[in-house]
Formats: sequence, structure tokens, C-alpha cells
Amino acid sequence: MPDQNQNGPINYSMAPYTGAWTKAEAGHLLRRTLFGPTNQQILTAVSDGMATTVSNLLQVPAMAPPLTFHPDEGVTAFGNTWINDVYPSNATDATATLGARNISLAAWLMKGINEEQFDISQKMILFWQNHFAAIAVSDARATYDYVELLRQHSLGNFRQFVKDMTINPMMLLFLNGATNTLYSPNENYARELLELYTVGKGPQIGPGDYTNYTEDDVAAGAKILTGYLVDGLGSDTITTVTSNYTAILHDTSTKTLSYHFGNATIPNNGANEYSDYIDIIFQQNAVAEHISRKLYRYFVNYDLTTDVETNVIPIMAATMIANNYEILPVLTELFSSEHFYDVSVRGALIKSPLEMIFSMFNSTESIPGFDLLTDSEMYLVLYQFATVMGQAYMEPPSVSGWPAYYQTPAFSQLWVNSAVLKTRFQVSDFMTLLTGVPGNGNNWKFNTLTFLDNLSLPADAPTVIDDIADVFTPKGLSSTQKLLLKAVLTNGLPDFEWTLQYNEYLANPGDPTYSDPVVQRVELVLQQLFHMPEFQTI
Amino acid sequence: MKRRDFVRNLALVSAGTPVLLNKMNVQSIGKKLFTVAKNNEDRVLVIIRMNGGNDGLNTVIPRDQYANLTIQRNNVLIPETDVLELTTEVGLHPKMTGMKTMFDSGSLGIIQNVGYPEQNRSHFRSMDIWTSGLIDSPADTGWLGRHFDNEYPGYPNGYPNGTHPDPFAISLGYEVSATCQGLMANFSHAVNDPFDVYNLSSGGAINDGTYYGDHMEYLTTLINQANAYGQQVNDAANAGTGSLASLYDLTNPLAQQLRYVAQMIDGGLQTNVYILNVNGFDTHNAQVSTTSTVEGDHATLLERISDAVASFQADIEQMNHQERVAGMTFSEFGRQIASNASLGTDHGDAAPMFLFGSCLNTNIMGNNPTVTDTIVNQAGIPLEYDFRDIYASILKDWFGVPTSEIQSFFEHTVQYYPILGACNVGIEEEDSTAIGLTVDKAIVYPNPASTNAKIRFVAENEWVKVDVFDIQHRKVLAVYDGNLSQGEHNIPMEIHELPAGEYIVQIKKESGLVHSKLVKL
Repeated sequence: MPDQNQNGPINYSMAPYTGAWTKAEAGHLLRRTLFGPTNQQILTAVSDGMATTVSNLLQVPAMAPPLTFHPDEGVTAFGNTWINDVYPSNATDATATLGARNISLAAWLMKGINEEQFDISQKMILFWQNHFAAIAVSDARATYDYVELLRQHSLGNFRQFVKDMTINPMMLLFLNGATNTLYSPNENYARELLELYTVGKGPQIGPGDYTNYTEDDVAAGAKILTGYLVDGLGSDTITTVTSNYTAILHDTSTKTLSYHFGNATIPNNGANEYSDYIDIIFQQNAVAEHISRKLYRYFVNYDLTTDVETNVIPIMAATMIANNYEILPVLTELFSSEHFYDVSVRGALIKSPLEMIFSMFNSTESIPGFDLLTDSEMYLVLYQFATVMGQAYMEPPSVSGWPAYYQTPAFSQLWVNSAVLKTRFQVSDFMTLLTGVPGNGNNWKFNTLTFLDNLSLPADAPTVIDDIADVFTPKGLSSTQKLLLKAVLTNGLPDFEWTLQYNEYLANPGDPTYSDPVVQRVELVLQQLFHMPEFQTI
Repeated sequence: MKRRDFVRNLALVSAGTPVLLNKMNVQSIGKKLFTVAKNNEDRVLVIIRMNGGNDGLNTVIPRDQYANLTIQRNNVLIPETDVLELTTEVGLHPKMTGMKTMFDSGSLGIIQNVGYPEQNRSHFRSMDIWTSGLIDSPADTGWLGRHFDNEYPGYPNGYPNGTHPDPFAISLGYEVSATCQGLMANFSHAVNDPFDVYNLSSGGAINDGTYYGDHMEYLTTLINQANAYGQQVNDAANAGTGSLASLYDLTNPLAQQLRYVAQMIDGGLQTNVYILNVNGFDTHNAQVSTTSTVEGDHATLLERISDAVASFQADIEQMNHQERVAGMTFSEFGRQIASNASLGTDHGDAAPMFLFGSCLNTNIMGNNPTVTDTIVNQAGIPLEYDFRDIYASILKDWFGVPTSEIQSFFEHTVQYYPILGACNVGIEEEDSTAIGLTVDKAIVYPNPASTNAKIRFVAENEWVKVDVFDIQHRKVLAVYDGNLSQGEHNIPMEIHELPAGEYIVQIKKESGLVHSKLVKL
């Protein structure tokens, strides 16, 4: 693995970055924290400076709830939200309604990414979905509540997040907490709580001993967590799915943890015992290190080299601990660090399917903008595109999340192979050369004119290409590539002919005779760009 | 091109590739069926785009207009004595010696004054019109793309395959050609260098040892693997050993590209269309040098095209491929009759096209433009031939496409000219009449159509009733009911209120019933 970049040794310092702050650095920050920054957003970040930009990005606004659009919905009226509505009594109708609500949820997830504002929330929700990696369950209301939990805690207190997740109805269903009782303990959640969600599984250093916890801890944890049931699932009378502590199902014995947790004993504490247990888990610094590594891999680089383990992860973890497991200060420090802007980590990740899709849409300011039904059908197409490419949002392939985020040594290269790459090209060709995303008899194409108008100097062909490279690629394009793209833009003519054409379009607003050729040339440029390897990285 | 493949290929639409993408294939379904096989499926058409708007008056020079040319464009005019004489009336730019030799041996044709009504002088819009072959409709598909769509519905799903291992069209360079844009995909495959087909990303990515460089190498490898046609193209180029390098000046970029084409043809590539591009014809200033109107930018461009085409033709002939290779040039417009003060010319209207090959029916088609003695501001050359009719004639003569299909590719009533049919002896002609119409036939055009379409048929001084039926055979539109004289008729049909779908147009004549399918978009 590389230990230096073209310009010299890699800078691992977590000290505040004070170097140049240009479109390159601002674009890097925005591409990592947003799905698809626009040229104007990058320019705003340049003028605001790093500190203000990082501060602006680290916010998590509320999201409007998903709405009913599908005729199979049996209870909630079109255009209203179903998140607190019962299901039909009839089993057939209830199944159909669940289907309608699930696709409403899928469309809503895509809409959320597509309509992201200047904040990190959508990237964080996906980060936590990969971390907890739960698969949608048999009640869409529980699935929605789970996603909402991911959003609420995105930048908040991780300890409280784990506590809430532990008794979240969808998680109780997903990892069998709802059937973990005094009479029939189920270790599924107790195991993942340690192995994946908090301290992480280290090397096996003894029989049943994984560095940070033991098999006995898993068994003790399962007992601690007994007694929670899920109520209201698929109910035709209860409007929300809840978890409820049932004392008679709880194991009231005193549980003893291993030396990794200081041989702590946990006496019966009923409904709050799980919270006591999690407080003890969080006394291990390994929790902070584990989450820091995951944040680093998601936002910076997949490669946890010795240098990163020595210089970066401990600083992140120390910040997390010093701030009582708040995530916000850790990310503030990370996105403000010298290491984050080191040229060696720029372009060090391959775009995930969702990043690839929404970098096209969001960076061109393209939203469907039809009506609820049409927009939703189009968003479902995008959900399917991402699924075909290997990233179904509510169906991660395993409890560990998507392999591209953890599987050594290929990591993000796992997102693409020659077949998937062809699909990526087909999808981008669909948007640039062909009809765009279909839905309810309409087609959603890029907002190409707005995209073009909002570039720095749209009448100037070389600047158009420079801006496009700045927006879509992490390290720019070669001069040969730019000349090629410029030749596509100008159709091989001298640059001034593009200027004339663009100005004619400006002088004849709304006249497709002038705007169509402009749109076509820009879309052909994007088509070429989307086939370049540079576009596939972030 | 194998027309009988249609049904089989249609079945392939739903196989392979993601279901989701297949859902979007609906537009490409619903074309009519023709099952007559032709023997001209190995025909090759080479298209050279003269990008920027070629000055036709300094290319094919009307020798009988010299007095008035002097009035109109003296500062760029070629001295009369330097013009290469083709006929008493027509000459070529003095740098075009290669093409003059071709003309003398019958392998160069000229079509005078090609353009379209109400010429648009924007490069971008006019090039869209030329590549799409559509004037009133959005330029969403190319004229050859529509032809390929008709032949190979569902492309690219299921391609390449055992029957069609090679790209249908190759665009030399990095950019696919709008000419070949189909409904679902572009039929042209961009090839910059057939001997280095994997250099797709034009010199960007290198592995410099960084994480990023590692990804670049990885992605480039994958892109190469995804390049389904790369190996075929490369193999063909290497097998094309019959081509003689000595015939070409390989410092001339167009000559180098045409040599690649010759090598791919000789190597057995089944590609039917090659598209090449020459930039620089937008000669607003310094079209000619300050010291001589025979020299300058335009002269260099014409010399390169002339030399390269002559070399290519000689190579094709010595390899004995001349009966299956033909070529044409086009430019988005000609330039104005009067020159400007910058030793240049501004955007104009019609201009000559060149055809080349050994199967030409004609050497010069059309008349010299008439140049008046009065300078009219911004005047261009008026149109004599509609470029769409030239395209249609090429499709008919060269690729043997039935005229009923050709008509459906265009918005206007197509007029055919015999231009490339000299090698068609022995090839089955589907249409016995020049226009492809017999009493038992009717043609709907354009088809598919969105607002207005026409039905074209012949009548024999008889009562005729034309109606449109839906697929349940319910009458949805009465088009015509009355007497018609003997001959061809083009009856407009107001179909804008019909729902999208397939319809049958019925023509009830005393001589019998004729049906034709209509697809409403």
C-alpha cells in the first residue's frame, strides 16, 4: 500500500488544516460529506472557508415523513403519511398495504438523498445503516422508526444511540431480541452488540476470547437483554410499533462480565439493565477506536495502515471519549485535519452505487419535480438501479453491512466489476443520451440548463470543462481529457462558436431551437465524463 | 444486414441484462416486419464529416460563374487558371488533385447544392439536423440510428452475439456519432486506434502508486473488459494485412484514420458504417493566405481530404473491396456567396457533397449554383437537393433498405435519386418501382409519429376511403372519403388526439383493400 504520495510523505497530522483552501480542497470535503455537491456549493465553501463550511455541514435537519402514493395502500389516503396508521384487518389487504408502505419508504429514502441540503445528514444515515445494517421488517412503521432513529442520533451521543437501538423494535425483530427471554435466551443481538456495534471483534487471544470480549460476555449479555417484546406489529388497532419490557421474561440473576470489563457484575435492574450494561461496555476505549475506524474508512480511506492506527485513530478516539461519545466533535476534528486534506486520500475511494447515482443527479441540481406519484415512481427506479448495482438501501447483504466498507483488501473496489461497470455506464447513458428515468408516463432528465447556467462562466467552453472536472472528479482530469471534452462541447468547432451558441440561447429564453443544442452538447460531455474512471472515484 | 433476425432479436429483449433496464425498451418495440434477406449486408459506408461549414464555392467551383464570383468574393477566389478542370462548367480547388484523378476514373461523384429548406445557420442546430435527418422533430435519434433500430430492435441488449460479433458502426476518435444514435443506445463504437483499442480514456488515468492511481488502473482494466467490441476490432485491424501503407501520407490525420478503416475492412470486420471527422471548416477569417488564395487553412483541409480519400480508394481497389465500400462527405452548411473582409466567409446555406467509390451511378448531379452580379447581404446558395433524399437514396441503393421502411425514417415525402446502385446487378430488388409503391402498398410516414402523419399510396381514378382502426379493429379516425385521380397521393392524418399505441390504416379502393401499420407515440 502506498506510504507516500507524488509530492512527498503522507501527512497524518490531526492538527487543524491551514493550507490552501481552493475548489480542490472544498470539493474534496463536499464530495465526502454530500452525495453530489454543485459547483455553486463548492464555490460557497471556498468563500466561507473551512471552519464555517465544516460547521455548516455538520447538521442533521428533520425529514418530512414518507407519503402514501400507491393504490395498494388500504388505510392512509393518497398524499398522507402512514407512519402512525394501522393496517387493514383483512390479511390480503394488510399484505398489500405493507407492500405499498415499503415502496413508499424506498422512494422516500431516495428522495431524501436527492433533496439533500448543505449538510451531512444523508451520508450519516447511510453510514449508520451500514453500521447497524438491519433489514426491513414486516411492518414499515418499524422500519421508518428505525431510519428515523439513525437520523436523530447521526451526530449525537453514540452511547445513547446504542441504548436506543438495543430496544428499537426493528432491531429487536431483526436480531431476535424480541424472542430473547429468561426461558429461551437468544444471543444474536448480544453478540453483534459487541462484535460489530461497540467494542468490535479483535484477534482471538484465548479460548472464546476476542481481545475485547469473550463468549461468556455474549452469554451474559443475552441474559441482561432479556424481557423486551415488540407490540403492535402489523396491527389493525395499534397505530405504532413499540418495544415493551415484560418483567416475567427477564432474567433477574446477577450477571458477571469478563476481565475485559473489569469482571463487572450487573445485578438485576429490570427494564434499565440493558442501559447499565451498555454504560459498562462504553468504559472500554475500544468502542471509541472501533467507531473511529469505521468513520475513517467511510469518510477518509479504507486503508488502516500502521501510520493511521498510530497517528489518526487514537486522536479520533480520544476526542470521542473526551466528549462523552458525542460524534459531532470527532467529525469536526476529522474534517478540519491536515490528514483529511492530504492529497494521498483524495480519490482514494470508489463511489458506492448510491454515490455514483446521486453524484449525477445532485451535482446537476436535478430533481424530478412532477407530482407525488410520478416522482415516487422515478425514485423507485433509482432504488432499483442502486439495487442492481449492489446497494439496496434497506437490504444490506449481511449484518456486517456492505463488504465494500469492511472487506480487506479490495474494499471499495468491490463496488465494481466489469458487469457492474457496464450497468453504471448504461444508467449514465440513459440519463445523457436517452430518455431519462421513466415514471408515470413522464421522463426525468438532468436539469442540464440550470447546471450549465450555474457554472462559473457558462459561455466559455474551457471554463465549462474545468468546472465540470472540479465538480465530478476528485483529482481533476488530464489536459488531454479536457481537450477531448471541450471538443465534444464545441462539437469540434472553435471555442467562440460555443460562446455564440450559449449567448443565443440566453437571448432566446424558452426557445428549444437554441436551448436543445446546448443541452445536447453538455449531456454528451457528461456522457463521456461518466465513462471515465476518474468519475467513478471520490 | 440480416432482416430475418428481427423476430429472434425481439425475443432477446427480455433476456440477460437487468430487468429494470429492459422495462425501458418499450419504445423500440413495435416496428414493422420485413423478412426479405439481402445480399448487401457486407456493404460499408464511410462518412466524412467536414465540421464547421465547408465553403462549397471554393471547393467545387462553378467555372461558368467566374465573372460574378469576382464581384462577390474576389479576396478569396481561386484564380481561374489554377482551378482543376473536371468538366467545362465544373472545377475543383487546385489542391484537390487526388479527387480530380478519382473523378476522371469514375470513382468520385459530386452532388450540387445539398441542403434543406429554411437553413439554420447555427452550427449546433444545423449539425443536429444533418445527423438526425429530422428538421421539425427533436433530434433524439440519428438517421442511421433509426435504420439500425429497425434492423436490430432491442440493441444493445443481447449484443454482441454470435451472429453480430462486431460493432454496427465505428466512429473514429473518442466520441460516438450522433448519426448512429438509436432509441436505446448509440450504434457506433468509438475507436481511436484499432491497434490500441484499450486506450479508451484518452490518456487520463495512470497508476502513480497512490490509492487513487491504484483505482485508476483497476477501473481502466474493468472498462477494457466491459469494452465488448475491443478484441474484435483489434483482431480485425491486425488481420487487415492487405492494406498498403505506402499508398498513404500517414502524417495526414485523415489518411491515418482511413488507413485504419481499410485495415479493419480487409481484416473482415463486419461493421457497416465508419464515421470520420475533420474539424476546421469554420473559415470566418484567414480562409486563404494573405499572399495567395490557393494557399491557406481551407486549402490545407481540402488537400488533406482529397489526398486521404484518393489513397483510401486506391487501397480499397488494390485489395479488391471496391464493390462493397463507398463513401460520402457532409458539412452542416455551406458558406455565403460573398466573402468578408477578413479573407474568410460566413455561415451560408447549401453546398456540394462528395460521394466516392466504384459503384457510383453519377459523376455530377445537379447544376452549378447561379451567382449574381449583385452582392445580397448574407445570401447563401439555394438548395437543389434535400440532404435527406441523399440519405434515403444511399439507404436504398447501398444497403437495400425497402423504401417503405426508409420513408418511415423521415418527416418529408422522400424523393429517391439513383446514386450508388451501379454494383447492384444480381442483388434482389424488393421494390420494382422507383418509389417503391405499387397498387397494393401504402406507406405511413413518419412512423412512429406523434402529431401528424401522412399515408402515401397510388390510386387509379377511383373512389377511395381511408380510415384508421385500433388493434381491436374499432374505427378511431376517418381520414378521407372521396374520388382520387390516377397516381400517387399523400393524405395527411390528424392523429394528435389518438392515444399512443399501434393502429392500422385501411385504404379501401375499388381495386381492393390495402393496410399499413401506424405507431402513434
